[in-house]
Amino acid sequence: MDDYLVGVLSNIGIVSFIALSAWLLLLTGEISFGQQAFFAIGAYAAGIATALWGWPLGAALGWSAAIAGGAAVLVGVPTLRLHGLYFAIATLGFAEMVRLLFEQFHYRVMIDGELVGPNGSDGFRGIRYIFENDVGSLQFLALIYLLLAAALAGFMLLERSRLGVAFRMIGEDDTLAALNGLAVARLKILAAGLAGALAGLGGGLYAHLTTYVEPRVFDVMLGVHSLAYGLIGGLGTALGPLLGVVIDIGLLESVRAFAGYRMIVFGGLVAVLLIVRPRGLLDEALVHRIGRLFVRAPPAGP
Amino acid sequence: MVDLVQNTIDGLMIGSSYGLLALGFTLIFGVMRRLNLSYGPSVMVGAYLGTLVYVQLAAGPLVVLVVTVLGSVLAGLYVERLCFAPMAAGAGVASMVSSFAIWMQLEQAAVLVLPRHTYPFPPLATADPLAFGPFYLRVDGLIMLACALALSAGVQLLLYRSRVGLALRATINNPVAAHLAGIDVRTAVVFAFALASAVGGIAGYLVLATDQQVTPMFGMWATFKGLIAMMIGGLGSIPGAILGGLVLGVVEANSQWYFGPQVRDLLAYVLLFACLVLRPGGLLGEAPSRQQDTGRRGA
Repeated sequence: MDDYLVGVLSNIGIVSFIALSAWLLLLTGEISFGQQAFFAIGAYAAGIATALWGWPLGAALGWSAAIAGGAAVLVGVPTLRLHGLYFAIATLGFAEMVRLLFEQFHYRVMIDGELVGPNGSDGFRGIRYIFENDVGSLQFLALIYLLLAAALAGFMLLERSRLGVAFRMIGEDDTLAALNGLAVARLKILAAGLAGALAGLGGGLYAHLTTYVEPRVFDVMLGVHSLAYGLIGGLGTALGPLLGVVIDIGLLESVRAFAGYRMIVFGGLVAVLLIVRPRGLLDEALVHRIGRLFVRAPPAGP
Repeated sequence: MVDLVQNTIDGLMIGSSYGLLALGFTLIFGVMRRLNLSYGPSVMVGAYLGTLVYVQLAAGPLVVLVVTVLGSVLAGLYVERLCFAPMAAGAGVASMVSSFAIWMQLEQAAVLVLPRHTYPFPPLATADPLAFGPFYLRVDGLIMLACALALSAGVQLLLYRSRVGLALRATINNPVAAHLAGIDVRTAVVFAFALASAVGGIAGYLVLATDQQVTPMFGMWATFKGLIAMMIGGLGSIPGAILGGLVLGVVEANSQWYFGPQVRDLLAYVLLFACLVLRPGGLLGEAPSRQQDTGRRGA
């Protein structure tokens, strides 16, 4: 495979994590414009762990998911009673707060005669783990997709579990869910934490792929894109947000013919799709119909 | 102490433009119960057209003002057509997301037409600041403050003393009942959008004429300042919008003076987040009811 293709595929894989993160909250009925905050926290946490503390990559990725998930739980508690646009604006405000805090974040350590670490708005250079340990770009690509496959498998299990049903029920009507005995507050915080951890994991991978992170990457546009992926791709299955990512990054960003018009096409696509297919291309009805094709016909009666 | 007073004066002046942006936001929210995040970018489209006639045709400030306002109104109506008109009632969140998507579209369209990073904008007043003892008042700031107060009073009068305003308020109160009473709700909504975009266009013109330049960042700037000011003041309240704008302006001017620009932006978001968590209704608005936008149902 040529480098360009590997780069595009790596990008698609990493952005899929934050798209899945926003999608999980969509399932529970909340719109978040702020998942990029947890992506940023994960990126910085993983970068600090390998570049400054000398941790192995696996531990650093686990740490990035854990700390981003923890942060998401901490934000989830005060925003719990907000709904709809109030919740959306609160997440947006929080994400911008995080981005501006990283602009102020200095943590420099002398390593091998050179200062390494986050340096405010100049960003965080020298996250060189994959070069120092001879991880090839194909190997790293495999790692991204392995983790993505694990996340997707987790979602498939979730859809078949009581927890998944509970999430969808809360998304449909949280009052009704509470009346049916679901612990809505706890489940919502759990969803927020899981979504934060997913975004954090994606951020950890991102930091190691690019070797360099800077606060302005994690602006609102990243958050809105990741939300839009789920809305385009569909709310019916976890493959929905992936489809959205493939359409945007695989098609619009990578094909030269669209250069300069990407936002015009993408923005128009989102707006039109929200009118004609409000729950995305792969919505619940379509997923259900496809699912029935694979179920064997019931045995004929006597 | 002198610094504090001077900063507060400057803050009130710039805050009045935030208040105008919030006023436009709150008008749309009041009528639609929806948030139009493309509001700032549509004002930016107007401003870009304004700077285009200024740069290409050397138009005077008045022509630039008219073009800016007209351009904002046209872009605002485009957003209404695409993001608000086709959405089912109760699909407020879908409209909000859709307006964010159109934001990217408008921004890129503006950049395609005028690709340089900054373009000049004709100044409003070049007179020296007025001195009062140790304090200075910028002339363009005073014009901005006067315009903000006059426009918000005008909008308040329009809403409460005219038949159009009555129709708008009836629509705000209950669209179905308004329709049954013979009010053309569709026209009322379009009128509210046009009015809000015109107010935004004037605010945008005042801000850019003070800065004397326009950049592609202006759309995001206008949306965020208006949004934060509106949330602080209270969704749907006109006096709240102006008050929220003034509060935001004073906080920003003082924090910039004492802590620098990065802390200024950070504090604005801290204020927004704290306001939403502690008092979602804002200073003068009503607390959100559970019926409004409780999810994406019907979206």
